[in-house]
This record gives sequence, structure tokens and C-alpha cells, in this order.
Amino acid sequence: MNNTIIIGSGPAGLTAAVTCAENGVDVVVIDEYMIAGGRLLGQLYEEPNGSWWNGIKESTTLYEKAINLGVKFHFNTAVNNIEQSNGLWVVYTEKDTFYTSNLLLATGAAESPVPVPGWTLPGVMSVGAAQVMTNVQRVKPGERGVIIGVNVLSAVIAMELQLAGVEIACLTLPKRNRITMKAGDPRKVLDSLLHVSHMAPSPFVRYGSKLMKNDFMKKLGVNFYPKKGVKMWDIPIQLRKAVTKIYGEDEVEGVTLATINADGEVVSGSEEHIPVDFVCIAGGLYPLAELAAVAGCPFYLVEELGGYVPLHNERMETPLEGLYVAGNITGIEGAKVAAAQGTTAGLSMAHRSGIKGLDNTINDSIKMTEQTRNSAPIQFHPEIEVGRKKILQQWEAYQSTKRESICY
Amino acid sequence: MKEDEMIICRCEEVSYEELETAAAKYKCSARELKLRTRAGMGYCGGRSCRTMVDKIAAASANDQNRTCVSLKYQPPIRPISFENLGRGR
Repeated sequence: MNNTIIIGSGPAGLTAAVTCAENGVDVVVIDEYMIAGGRLLGQLYEEPNGSWWNGIKESTTLYEKAINLGVKFHFNTAVNNIEQSNGLWVVYTEKDTFYTSNLLLATGAAESPVPVPGWTLPGVMSVGAAQVMTNVQRVKPGERGVIIGVNVLSAVIAMELQLAGVEIACLTLPKRNRITMKAGDPRKVLDSLLHVSHMAPSPFVRYGSKLMKNDFMKKLGVNFYPKKGVKMWDIPIQLRKAVTKIYGEDEVEGVTLATINADGEVVSGSEEHIPVDFVCIAGGLYPLAELAAVAGCPFYLVEELGGYVPLHNERMETPLEGLYVAGNITGIEGAKVAAAQGTTAGLSMAHRSGIKGLDNTINDSIKMTEQTRNSAPIQFHPEIEVGRKKILQQWEAYQSTKRESICY
Repeated sequence: MKEDEMIICRCEEVSYEELETAAAKYKCSARELKLRTRAGMGYCGGRSCRTMVDKIAAASANDQNRTCVSLKYQPPIRPISFENLGRGR
């Protein structure tokens, strides 16, 4: 029997573990990976102020802090089910079954697939897999690759791959179909890039984004988008080209790249072959909420947060007694926001464990999460605030129906 | 390989064409699409193709339920041996 169990040792889970332990609460952390850090491990980028954010260093610091505070870790341990029984949460893993009063789901996000003909060939991987291979395992995914899918995450990882000496032939779009939809529409992709364009090192993109504030200019921007693409960190970003096929006998040998019009339709006869030895698929992230679903937690679909999100309030409580969420399971945002949410979740669990006098600290931590969100240089979704409001409204609506049903 | 032939559900080897044809014919929910084609019913538990099956269904049916996940999650959510699954229950 445990007081608190945290599933996931990424920025949210680690921070929550440290917060609980600092408040004198016993904590066990379970993670399916072999080391702590989660998605922090892959991160290596330059901050707007010129300093470098090294995810591995950040996670080691947090992990050592947790160990020194007496937090227990179980790595290589996948949780396959959770259920509520007699007021306790039961956590099933392949090795052991755990029991706890407070359970935090900090399981993060998963990558959305983007289907491309030939994508089952060896050498095709998600962009996150290429990031982990390069930054964590220190193995090159290949010598020269193409990234299919243009978004914030793929642009950052392209730069990381380049730093590691891996050549990226280009970032380009997937061919439009009923699954890729927005990701294959140059206008929609340009739209989603405009809000992060202040981060672009190229003066062309920076200057260009100011001209593209209205839709007419956006269309013009896509129509006149340079045929050779715009370079970011010397990597061509192609919004007017799409991969129609990945080819190769037993493994990736190259991709067929075609010119597309402003609506995303392939211009026939424009196909060219680009030889590469690996391909990254970048479909973006969605909240990984499987455990909340098997527990029976109510959900709501919020596009701005990346998909179906378990209902929760600002204290990171779910409608299920003793079940908490923090990090990307609540919506796709950066590691710093995830960590801030982890602090709140840790404090909420300590409060429920009977630690007195935490109310002000909890309120401060909620404000801190908002501040962290507002000062983040990159938003994965431009309307993240709208998404956060939607989920809070749904929480309120759920609570009031529950109150009514108790009254009658 | 043509676009129609590309595999969406790797475990059950369901192609894009099979899913598109079923979605166009029945204009059904993601769950019905899964049951008709077996996409998402393989040993990975739909971890790879779930979002794609969702998107194809949403494009044809247009009645997405926002309050609960469209394709149910079933434990065990990670592969586990029968021996370990039965132990201690």
C-alpha cells in the first residue's frame, strides 16, 4: 500500500514526485522507459536569450533531487491497467500490482502517424524516434533523410539532427488525402507556422510573417512561395512540395517528391526522386490518455489541446476521487508548462494526504503555470488558452450536473 | 506502391482503400469502421492506427462525439504474456 504513485517520469511526473517528497509524502514513480526524463531526454535547443536548454541535464538534476528526497523508481515497468477498488487505486504492471490512495497520470503524449505509400519500409520512423536515437542513444538514424510534416516539433528536431551531423534533404508536406488533411494543405501549414515565425532565424521568414497577417496575403504567400523553399538553419522547408511515395527494395532508398499547387493538389509530371536512407514522419502530438480511459474518467475532445483530454480542474484533479493528471496528457504544451502542472498536482496530492496549510501554495502554483504558459516562446497550438478555457468549462458543467443529480 | 494500397492497420493488414470504401459505403462511426474492417483490432491494440481510423470515420460521418473517446481502450493497454496477466488475480 502506497500513499502516492506517479505514472510517468517526464517533466510533469518528476516535478510532482519532488513536490510530494518535499512535503513529506511517500512517492513511487513507475515508467516504461529505462531511465527518467521522458520527452525531456530528447530536447536540446537554443533559448531566445542565447543559452542552451539541455533536456538530459534538466532530467538528471530533477531525478537526483527526487532520489535524495527518498522517491522510489521502477523503470522498464509498463502499467497495463488501473482500476479503483475499495477507495484505493490498483495499478497493474507485468511484474507487480501496486495499491495507492493518490494516483497521478503523467503519461505525456504520443505521435500521430501520417500515412505515406511505402511507409512500412525499414528506415521510416517517427520524428520523435529519430530524436531519441540521436540525442539519447547517440546513434545516427541515417546519413541523409527527409522529414515529412512541417510543424514546430519537426523543425526543432531537424535542427537537432543537423547538429549531430545528419543531413536533412528537406522538410516537406505529405500528399493530401483523407487522413493527412490539414497537414497536406500548404495554406493551413503556413497558418500554423506564422505564429512561431518570430523564432525563425531567417530574416526572410521573420519579415515575411508580418506581411501575411491577412488571408489574402497568406494565399499570396503560398502562391509565390519560392520553388526551392525557404531555408531555416540551412534546411530547405518545402511547403509547395509533397512526398507521394517512399521507395526502396528492402529498405528506404529514396522518396518521390512532387510539386503541389496552393490547394495541395499534385502537379502531374513534376515528380522527382530524392535519394535518402531514412525518412521521418512528423504528424504532431496527441495526449496519451489510455489509462484515464480504462479508469472510466470522463473526456472531452479539444482540438487546441491536441485531442481527447481527461476532464480536470486547475488543481489537476480529475472527477475520479484520488486520480490526478499533469503534463501533456492534459494538452500539448512545452516541458516547462508540464513541470509547472506537476508542481500543482504534487501539492494537490500532498493536500489530500492530509498535509495542512497548502492552499495558498496551490493557488500560487496555478498562477505560476499560467505565467509559464504566457512566457513560453513556442506554443504548440496558437489557441492553447482557448483550449484550456474549454476544458475548465467542461469541468464546471460536469460538476454542476453531478450536484443536480445528488439534489434530486 | 499506390496510395490506395498503403497499409493503415499494420497488425491486421488493412489498406487505405478498404477503410475508405467502408467509410464511404456506411458513413459509420469509428467503432463501426473498426468492426467492419478489423483495423485497430490487432495485437498492438490499435496503438498505431487509432488516430487514422478516427480521422477517416470523422471525414465521412461528421457526428463526432466530443464527450467520450471514439474507439474504446481495453486493458491490457500494453502487450503482456498470458502467464503474467493471470498472476495474482
